[in-house]
Amino acid sequence: MENLIIEETKFSPSIVFDGEKHSLSITGKSYPENTSVFYAPVFSWLEDYIEKLDDNQEVGVNIELIYFNSSSSKVLLDFFDILDEAAEDGKSIAVNWIYEEDDEDSLEFGEEFKEDYESLTFNLVEKKPE
Amino acid sequence: MLTDLYKFKQDLNRQGIFFCFSGPISQNLVSEIGSILEQKMGLEKASRSTVLRVFSMVVEKAQNIIHYSAEKYIDKKTDRDEIELRLGIIAVGYENNHYFVLCGNKIHNKKAGKLKKKLALLQSMNKEELKKYYREQRKKEPDKESKGAGLGFIDMAKKANKPIEFDFKKIDDEMSFFSMKTVI
Repeated sequence: MENLIIEETKFSPSIVFDGEKHSLSITGKSYPENTSVFYAPVFSWLEDYIEKLDDNQEVGVNIELIYFNSSSSKVLLDFFDILDEAAEDGKSIAVNWIYEEDDEDSLEFGEEFKEDYESLTFNLVEKKPE
Repeated sequence: MLTDLYKFKQDLNRQGIFFCFSGPISQNLVSEIGSILEQKMGLEKASRSTVLRVFSMVVEKAQNIIHYSAEKYIDKKTDRDEIELRLGIIAVGYENNHYFVLCGNKIHNKKAGKLKKKLALLQSMNKEELKKYYREQRKKEPDKESKGAGLGFIDMAKKANKPIEFDFKKIDDEMSFFSMKTVI
């Protein structure tokens, strides 16, 4: 399948979903004016991808969001729900939740997501400022 | 009028407000406001968490105005293509060693009751209750009237350092003015 690539803007993150390398990355800030419109192609790609995914395939997911608004937070939950379900089905999916060193809120969000999911591997990765 | 403007600035200074915008708000404007605040707080050596929290309150409040303010300009270009600009006030200040963010916009009286109830509930909750409530609500489908996830106010209350403050001032039979303050 085609890779999904969406360029970063001031309000929306860069999306690089590579179906051959099995690497999915969301990087940047997320506060689009209409969250569901922005993320619709992301979810439709993900659902296609998961459906065609071989069992036991390892998938790496990197989430590196400097800032996300409250409606993006709901999107992340829906996104991880889909991944967790796939992990329950036997896919080996690991999420790296990458947060800035001094960002307590992002760390807390990561910890809470980690608690919520059993099948999905959820790693909290601290990033030093550049 | 010109002397009023100076008085207006003095009023803002007295309240500790260093940024104030009143008028139609767009998504682009939100991003510019965010970046100028980031620069300003960077100069003041505010912590990264603080900068991100102020940014987050400004975004949530401005997007509430963009989506819900009852005061708006409508430009009907064609039957299908409608451009809408909604108006409100956003202000940011510093007092007692804390940043604060203010917002205000018109709201229809018939919608004020429900919002007042929602905010009073958030005001009464402590940090742990707010965290729990946020996670519960995030799992639910948002209200039909919501244009987002319906989590903005809870998110602000959770990130704030003190309980949120709000006010509804009746303008006439149709409208009230809603204002809110969050301290970071």
